[in-house]
Amino acid sequence: MNRDARVEAFVAAFEALRAEVEKVIVGHHDVITHVLIGMFAGGHVLLEGVPGLGKTLLIKTLSEGLELSFSRIQFTPDLMPADIIGTNIIIEDADGRKHFQFQHGPIFAHILLADEINRATPKTQSALLEGMQEGAVTVGGASRPLPAPFFVLATQNPIEMEGTYPLPEAQLDRFLFKLRVRYPAIEELNAIIDRTTQSRPATVSRVLNGPAVLSFRELIREVPIASHVRDFASAIVMATHPQWEQAPEVARRFVRYGASPRGAQALVLGAKVRALAEGRYNVSVEDIKTLAAPALRHRVILNFEGEAEGVDTDTLIAQVLENTEAATAQSREPFLR
Amino acid sequence: MTESPRIEGLLRRIRREIRRRRAEYYGLRGAFWGAVVGVAVLLAKHGVGGAAPWAAAALVILGAAAGIAYGAARRVGRADTARVADRAFGLDDRVATTLEWAERADRTRLVDSLVADTVARVEALEVTRVVRRVVPSEARFLAIPVLACVVLAISPPIPMPSGRFPDFLPSGEEEREERASSSMLEETSRPLAKDPLKRPSFEERDFAQRAGGSGATTTGDLSAIFKDTSLASQRPDFNSFMKKGDERLRMLEQVDRLPDLQSDFTNSQYKMVYRKSKALTGGLRPDQISPQKLRELLEEMERLGRKGGANWSGDAMEGMEALEGGQSDRALDAMQKALDKMRAMDEAQRSGKGLRGGRENERGGRGRDRARGDGMGPEDQDFGEGEGLMPGRGRSGSPKGEATQRLRASPYDVGVEGESRRGRKDGYDTNLTGRGGSMASRLQYLGVIGQYRKAMEDAITREQVPRDFHDQIRSYFQALDER
Repeated sequence: MNRDARVEAFVAAFEALRAEVEKVIVGHHDVITHVLIGMFAGGHVLLEGVPGLGKTLLIKTLSEGLELSFSRIQFTPDLMPADIIGTNIIIEDADGRKHFQFQHGPIFAHILLADEINRATPKTQSALLEGMQEGAVTVGGASRPLPAPFFVLATQNPIEMEGTYPLPEAQLDRFLFKLRVRYPAIEELNAIIDRTTQSRPATVSRVLNGPAVLSFRELIREVPIASHVRDFASAIVMATHPQWEQAPEVARRFVRYGASPRGAQALVLGAKVRALAEGRYNVSVEDIKTLAAPALRHRVILNFEGEAEGVDTDTLIAQVLENTEAATAQSREPFLR
Repeated sequence: MTESPRIEGLLRRIRREIRRRRAEYYGLRGAFWGAVVGVAVLLAKHGVGGAAPWAAAALVILGAAAGIAYGAARRVGRADTARVADRAFGLDDRVATTLEWAERADRTRLVDSLVADTVARVEALEVTRVVRRVVPSEARFLAIPVLACVVLAISPPIPMPSGRFPDFLPSGEEEREERASSSMLEETSRPLAKDPLKRPSFEERDFAQRAGGSGATTTGDLSAIFKDTSLASQRPDFNSFMKKGDERLRMLEQVDRLPDLQSDFTNSQYKMVYRKSKALTGGLRPDQISPQKLRELLEEMERLGRKGGANWSGDAMEGMEALEGGQSDRALDAMQKALDKMRAMDEAQRSGKGLRGGRENERGGRGRDRARGDGMGPEDQDFGEGEGLMPGRGRSGSPKGEATQRLRASPYDVGVEGESRRGRKDGYDTNLTGRGGSMASRLQYLGVIGQYRKAMEDAITREQVPRDFHDQIRSYFQALDER
């Protein structure tokens, strides 16, 4: 097979990074893959799961596998935006003259772990908005660029909702993927016990640096996508909108707001990374289907009926996928068209 | 066009396969509809002639051929073909993406790699059939019209309707039979001579009480004429039908033998007469009422009264006399009076079957007896039943008996006797005025005032007493306490 050297390098880097993370993290293969996809796609990832499942450890391990700066912010209700972004402080120089100097906040890092992000107030949560979208923060009227690549990995706990501030929709939309960290199976639990209670913890080696990540991001955007695959992605995103005339019944009944265009971008961009990570040069329908739930589950807002009936967004997206696939030309016999 | 002849070759092969499947699909559909038309042609074999089986066969073949031609001639899109190839060989949309991106001007290096990768994969493919056969729903039922064609082809032609009316004219022999049967019918259906002693009303009764469903032709029973099954068994003959119709019309002219189908013989006489009177007087002034009909109604009421020994015959007679004198008002009054009496009697009869006690029956019976022959007043006669139960009627104003005498005791004798304690009394006399002024209260004032105060506190918190009045109420009880 005639394979592009860059693609070969990407596949190798992807597999190496995943292997390093899996040295520490047991199971969660899909979560690790999707975190890496999100990182290479240039997006941010929100991890949701109950305490003790290794969310923070996963992110820390990933940062150890990358030659990138890493900072961690433990979000609390009294955290202020200046604690994240930084602030101007008065500095007195040797001549005795005083001037303001910007003290960088923890956001100025390649990888930012926003732990328990829903514990901070919306005001503080919003301090991340500009940085996540623009890659820069504005302090005292001056825009300060963040280091590239900039990658926010946030965690939140879905059950301890008391004293928390659910992320606003605008903030949620800025995350490329929302991943659900499930409880491990018993075999995985046994492996976790063995691995974490032994005397020598696993060491993670650095396999990738910042410029490499940036070059891979450029490569990913070159991956071609066929028009029928792109149409399929658009149809899925549109089908989450209850107002769309071809929306399925489940969306009309349970959805208040559908996914934004950012959702379609996340879907296609993630599909490109997935295709390339598998050594493929094109996006397939299967890529879109696989990444539909991580890219759309936090962008679909249920209505009152949906929340009252306890509708799971993953189930809803699965039904939307099924309906969209049936409605498009994918499933029909070509000679009957 | 892609650079690779391999990919083009794959697409051509799949395109051919799609055309073949399409031809099969539409050929089967065409054969089905051709066979359906063939059945129609064979049904008309009587008119078409001997060429019908050949025409049906030709239609089936033509339908199939047309379907095949249509399926084979339809255009197969390249993108569709590529997608079929991707799905069939598990190529993950590589062929479709390659076809689309290979021709674009903005192709990147990755597209070149994609084309090379796709070509390599296509070259490694094993040639298999990838398009599955789809059988149309019509093909499942194809055997039915084809079999129908075969059966109709070998069976004799079905005669078609000529378009003429059937011949209803009877032959000479049938006509003679008709005449004989009609003469017999005339004899059996001849009406009996009218009995001069019988009143028309009694004749009505005779008609009402028909013989059961024996079906036997009895004299005077019109239903037997209409149920005549001998007519139904005969061939339709317009002339005889007209003849029978004439006979029926003659029967209908004998009005006194017709049953009164509108009357309900389960109803009481009163109701029948009352309904007739309502029909006669409904919405009309006395001068607008037909005297003839009023006379007939009064006669009927008088007849019913005489027959049943009732007491309204006199009123009916009075009404007839008034009508003779041209006094319609009086006649109507008399009729109304007679109707009232009929109603009273009817209600009395019905209430006799009700839930009355034995004493009431006795009393009602005595009342009726008195009304008939004891020379009581008209009121007693009208309301012989249940007398005294209505206010202002009867002899007693209190039908449930006289009330018991109230006790003649003193209203103040409800106190509890006892002796007053000697020494200081912590109670106050409360009956200070009136007849009770001389009697000392035996309530321990200071013993109950506390309870009253407590009840007051509960009440003003429980009830919706305005807050401003709370202090006022408390000060009132405070004042009482201080006494």
